Order: sequence, then structure tokens, then C-alpha cells
Amino acid sequence: MPYLNITEVESAVTSLATAFPGASDLIELPEPSVEGRACHALRIGTVPAGTNDCVVLIGGVHAREWGSCEILVDLAADLLEAYAAGTGLVYGGTGFTADDVRKILRELDLVVFPLVNPDGRRYSQTVEPMWRKNRNPAQSGGDPERIGVDINRNYDFLFDFETAFDPAAAPRVSSDPGDLVYQGPRPFSEPETRNVRWLLDSCPRTRWFIDVHSYSEALLTVWGDDENQSGEPSQNFLNPAYDHQRGRGADAYGEYFAKSDADDSMVLARQFCAALHGVRGRTYRPMSGYHLYPTCGTSDDYAHARHIVDERKGKILGFTVEWGDTAGGFHPPWAEMERIILDVDAGLVRFCLTALT
Amino acid sequence: MSSTPQPVLRVRVTARDVETLRALLRDTHPDVGGLARRAADGSCTIEAFLSPEQAEALERDGVSVTPVEDVAAAGRERQAEVGRGDRFAPAEAVPHGLADKV
Repeated sequence: MPYLNITEVESAVTSLATAFPGASDLIELPEPSVEGRACHALRIGTVPAGTNDCVVLIGGVHAREWGSCEILVDLAADLLEAYAAGTGLVYGGTGFTADDVRKILRELDLVVFPLVNPDGRRYSQTVEPMWRKNRNPAQSGGDPERIGVDINRNYDFLFDFETAFDPAAAPRVSSDPGDLVYQGPRPFSEPETRNVRWLLDSCPRTRWFIDVHSYSEALLTVWGDDENQSGEPSQNFLNPAYDHQRGRGADAYGEYFAKSDADDSMVLARQFCAALHGVRGRTYRPMSGYHLYPTCGTSDDYAHARHIVDERKGKILGFTVEWGDTAGGFHPPWAEMERIILDVDAGLVRFCLTALT
Repeated sequence: MSSTPQPVLRVRVTARDVETLRALLRDTHPDVGGLARRAADGSCTIEAFLSPEQAEALERDGVSVTPVEDVAAAGRERQAEVGRGDRFAPAEAVPHGLADKV
């Protein structure tokens, strides 16, 4: 089965909801994409929504990273089919028992939103394969080279990067619509990002959030703006005393990450990587987002920042999967993508089981 | 508008040290992919996706640029591996994950 086109991602989600009515619910996102496409997520769980803690998984954010959608559709299909049949799941050398599958579906809510950016995916799969952003023309001035917003720079986390970062830092974000990492005119200017925010608002028991991207063979934890530190709470993204000091690493500023959250995040990341390694021996590295490159406005940092900005919101540990390697790049041959799906889905199943411990 | 597809090169960018790489990224905003790798001699290498003109413009003192492949051409070939129609349109068609169910 080759890569899914955007119609198929949608119909895969709806057909799973139809085929497994006792273990899944279809969620319609409130806003269509910029080009008017409806978006759906799938809630997986056998008890009423809101009863259990929740893992929210999103994919298809960056248009060219095609396999992210398939990773999430297949994860949902594996869990639902195994639960219905009373079987376990075997991903190469990593296996899970039928009891493991039952535990996930009975004690956890999984919300899977596999295609956040359908317009961009369609453009990448039919016109420009290296397209990354959405297809919003609002800031382009009619220039096709300036279309689109990088959805994973459009969340409300250190959005004013020129104030937040050291002038010598090189955060991977831009205020220029012609740039590949254009952040948009304001936080949540895009319907695609507002849909993700709505999911988090609608699932107040979300404790874990995973955004699936490529490539680097890594599982990233927060934070993306600077090195993490757990000793100085005042050094945080809300404190203007540290404006113009973020993003250099190995200096006086580090982004505060409470030790218990840092430890929990690293345990989850290591378990993900260990299960993935067991499939066929690929080595993914757990690390904070900053070690990929400095960023702001990303989904995982926003997800964790929510409870710091507003104490009424629940705490979410945020993660980003970076599947695949240099050789395959963003569009591995489908045969290799199938192996990557097995790798990552094994890691995600282990992640869910670890979250329940 | 030209109908000729433009190449996008995957290039290996090697800077003599971290500061040189950081300055390059800050000044030129290239489309980069993957992790930066640091060698024993202190040099740093990262991959970037650039037009031939952008790749040439990136060359400077302390920075070398090595083209690897045209990823736009490779991506267009890969577009042939995208499904046509809707494989899940029939009522009985449900996606199956790749794991063995045992």
C-alpha cells in the first residue's frame, strides 16, 4: 500500500471509527483548512471520553514529511484491530501482549489527529514535493513564492523571537512570508494551529502530547529555545528580565524545566527509543528540542507551556518524534517507510504503556 | 511562470566551528534538515536544501558546500508512490496497521 493521499487519510480515520464503534469516536475539528478542507481526529478508548488521562498525537503538520500520517493511521489501526481480536502486537523484534493492548484501550484515551495540514500535503504530493508550510496566501501579496505559514512556528510560545532571543542566536523561525519557517502574522493566525489548540482545550485530561515529524531519528522533549535547566525557576520564557538572552546554550541562561517533569520526559523518551531499537536495531536519540536547533512557536513547547501560563490548565509533557534518516530524507521509498512505521509505532505503543505506570 | 521544475539540492554544509555555523544559519536562513554533526577537529556539518544559486552563495571563508542529490527530482519520482483515488471508499475497506496481530 503506497503513501496515503489526503482523501485517504480522512477516509482511513472515518472508516476506523465506523468499523470499531465501541472503541473509537470520530472527532470533527472545528475549523476547515485554509482551502476549506474538513479535518478529523480519532479518539481511541473503551470508556467515555474524559474518564482517563489522554495522549494527543498529531501528524501531517509539515507537508513534505509524508510518512507522519501513515505512522498515526497505522498506530490507530493496529490498536483497534488487536483489541477487537484479543491479540497482541508484534513489530519486528518488539512485541506487546493482548493484555498490553487492553490496558491501553481501557485505561488511556488516545486522540490521533493524523493530518493537521491537508492543503500542504496535497501540494507536496502533487506539485512541489519539498513544500513545508500550509497554503495560506493572505500574507503573500500575490507572490506564489511567499504563500504559506509554518504551522509549527505559529503556536504561542516566545512568538516575539526578536525580543526573546539573543541577537547572536540563530533560532529557526522567520517573520518573512517568503521564508520556509515563516511564523505567520500572530500566534494562532492559522486554522490548522487553532484546531490543535482546540483539541488540547477539549481534552482537559491531556497529559502527554506527541507531534510526529521527520527527520533525525530522535525523540525530542521540551524545550526548544535553549538548554534545559532545573535549578533556577526564574529563568523561564515568561520572564522579561531574560529577553535578548535566550538561544545561545552553554551560557548563563537555561530554560527552566521542573526536575520531576524533566525526569519523567526522559524516561518516556528512553522507553520509546528502546522499543523502537528492538524492532530492527535503529537507534533514535532522546534529547531536548534545542539540540536539534533553537526554535520557538512549536507545538510541544506550547503544550507544556500552557500550564505555566495558566495554572487552571493541566500539565502536559510535550514531545516531537523526528522519524527517518538522511538517506531516506522526507520521502523514503515506500518499502523503507513501512519499516519506519513499524519502528515508530512500536515506540509509541511502549510510550503509552510507560505513561500508564 | 516557468513550467520547468527547479532543482532543489540536498547539500552537506561544513563549517570550521560551531560559531561559524551559527553565524551562517543566522545570516542566510537556509532550509536545513537533521542534526548538526560535530567532528573531532571541531568542524560542524549540517544538511541543507537549496537551489544551485543558493548553494553557491553559501560558500565563504570557513564554509564548504558539497552537493549530494536533487531532492526535488527524487520527490517528484516519489509522487508516483502516492495512492490514487480512495482505497477506503468501499464500506468494507478498513486500514490495517503493519504490526503482526498474534
